Amino acid sequence: MEFELDEEQQLLRRTVRETVAKVRSRPAGQQWDTYLRLGWLEAPPLELALILEELGYAADPTPFLATATWFAPLTGRLPEGSGTAVFDGVGRYVLDADRADEVALLTHRGVIVVRGTELAAERVPVLDPHLHAAHVGAEDLAAKVPDLALVGLAATCVGACRRVLDLVLDHVKQRVQFGRPLGSFQAVKHKAADMHVAIERARALTHFSALTIAEDDPRRADAAHMAKAAAGECQRLVFRHGLQLSGAMGFTWENELQYHLKRAQACDLLLGTASVHRKALLA
Amino acid sequence: MKLADDPEVEEFRAQFAAFLDAHLPEEAEARERAGSSAHVPAWARRWQRTLFDACWLLPGQPPEYGGRNAGLPQQLAHLEELARRRIYHSFNPQGLGIIAASLLTFGTEEQKRRWAVPILRAEITAALGMSEPEAGSDLASLRTRAVADRDGFVVNGQKIWTSGAHDADVLLTFVRTDPEAPKHRGISALLIPTGAEGVVRRPFGSIAAEDDLDFNEVFLTDVRVPRGNLIGNVGEGWRVANGSLGHERTLLWLSYAERLEDLLRDAADAGAGQEWYATLRMDLTALRLLGYRQLGLDRDPAEISVLKLLGSEAVQSASLHALEAHGAEGLEHPKRTGPYHHMHHEHFISSWFERYARSFAGTIAGGTSEIQRNIIAERILGLPR
Repeated sequence: MEFELDEEQQLLRRTVRETVAKVRSRPAGQQWDTYLRLGWLEAPPLELALILEELGYAADPTPFLATATWFAPLTGRLPEGSGTAVFDGVGRYVLDADRADEVALLTHRGVIVVRGTELAAERVPVLDPHLHAAHVGAEDLAAKVPDLALVGLAATCVGACRRVLDLVLDHVKQRVQFGRPLGSFQAVKHKAADMHVAIERARALTHFSALTIAEDDPRRADAAHMAKAAAGECQRLVFRHGLQLSGAMGFTWENELQYHLKRAQACDLLLGTASVHRKALLA
Repeated sequence: MKLADDPEVEEFRAQFAAFLDAHLPEEAEARERAGSSAHVPAWARRWQRTLFDACWLLPGQPPEYGGRNAGLPQQLAHLEELARRRIYHSFNPQGLGIIAASLLTFGTEEQKRRWAVPILRAEITAALGMSEPEAGSDLASLRTRAVADRDGFVVNGQKIWTSGAHDADVLLTFVRTDPEAPKHRGISALLIPTGAEGVVRRPFGSIAAEDDLDFNEVFLTDVRVPRGNLIGNVGEGWRVANGSLGHERTLLWLSYAERLEDLLRDAADAGAGQEWYATLRMDLTALRLLGYRQLGLDRDPAEISVLKLLGSEAVQSASLHALEAHGAEGLEHPKRTGPYHHMHHEHFISSWFERYARSFAGTIAGGTSEIQRNIIAERILGLPR
């Protein structure tokens, strides 16, 4: 197999990063229109994972994740506008359920799509301030989550973790203590190196999982559990070391670190934590 | 990026697999096991010679050196097929992968003929004199002195951790030829026959067993080494060391992957159902994926540190968990007197404790995990020295 991004994929990654940075300060509706116009919602799995990694990196506030990796794989199409899906059995913590144009309900009788306005969805406050989640009153639901939904969360998580590491690196290169930059201390270096290895590990498994979906490889179910579990394990390490190495500054609301830590944490908690997916892998 | 195998690589793999199936030593023939990393049993010498003659020994080399000018993906397939059969191409891996390889890269025609080819043909074995009591991971601090005189060098100093030295015919020895030069610049590489006057080797036991003799101390007292034994130019030792290790390191991750796979298989047999098993399966998959990625062009050599760290620590963790999964049975520590079955590696590494203890070789040898983390932090993440 070849496990190197080709030139087009590398170009896509750069384009996404630049575009997201450019539209960042605009209202969420305009960001969404930009993503729609660029056709990102229609990207195949690996490209989608690359886009989501960048959106995770930027703590993106749009309903892209739920629309592309929850609604689309369940219904086999894109929604008019934005979409989400209910598949956790009781319709709790459904991404973007309070603002999606269409909602896919996975029931024992199959997938039913309803207008967002037909659904009683109540937004719940969650730790990530840019993430919309709502409880919806829907019952009689199966719990089979599409592989792509797991990859979507894993890729977003990897992006958020990478951002945390980048912020930490900036900080420890600049901040001087005891007459030396923090980053010259071995205790700091070793934590940073471990974060890097955990991110590379999770990213490799995420890309692999996206590839198995793209090629409908028999390993796809296992690969999706691995990607989600590795992203969860990664965020746990990155959260711990990232917040620690940022010192008191990282413990404030003003520092943007918090958005990325929370995005990463949210990606682990949604649709089963690392531990849940490790167990699924053993089953 | 794609999952499909490259047909050219698979064709190469199939050819080698067919060769192996036709020529693999019989179990009955292969019962004598290697006593150290430079002690090669008669059957293993024949086996290595068979691979050399058929150009299947080091596929990356040209035919006259036992290869077929193959690229990295083919070299990986070659090692994978050997590992799948739980046999090595050489029982003197450093002699082959580091010493012969560096002679082929840096040596003269005369040196290649005199030492590299006999090492490749398993006629002689070689050991690597790198570490010293005060220079392990900090190789540039080595102190063994070589003073030039009219027709060669006079060497004085001490090496340690020299695997297999007591069974080796020659030592590739790194020595300081210029004490005034900056640390990296004053080093040269000399090939020293172990029979030379003034060379004393003292093997000592490892944590696994008192009579597990692979490590050596090597004392060099007024050893006269002819000029013709200098590999590369005077002062080029650092380049030789890096060049010869570089090739070995590129595919080093594969040995961790194979060991991890073995451990996970054995732990599954012992009924391990815990979540750590899933985590280690993820480590193994990620290691292979990152290893394949490493085959791509233009990768930063520092990324080898990511593979070494991930692989060696996963093996260590798997060994510990496997030991734990065996409970009190893991205490059992039979003497390693059993015959070597190349088809059944676990008969060679006989106890669970031993497998765990030996896993530390991966996190200590060839640059400790701490050094790997420093390399990642400084060279990949750009943190200040």
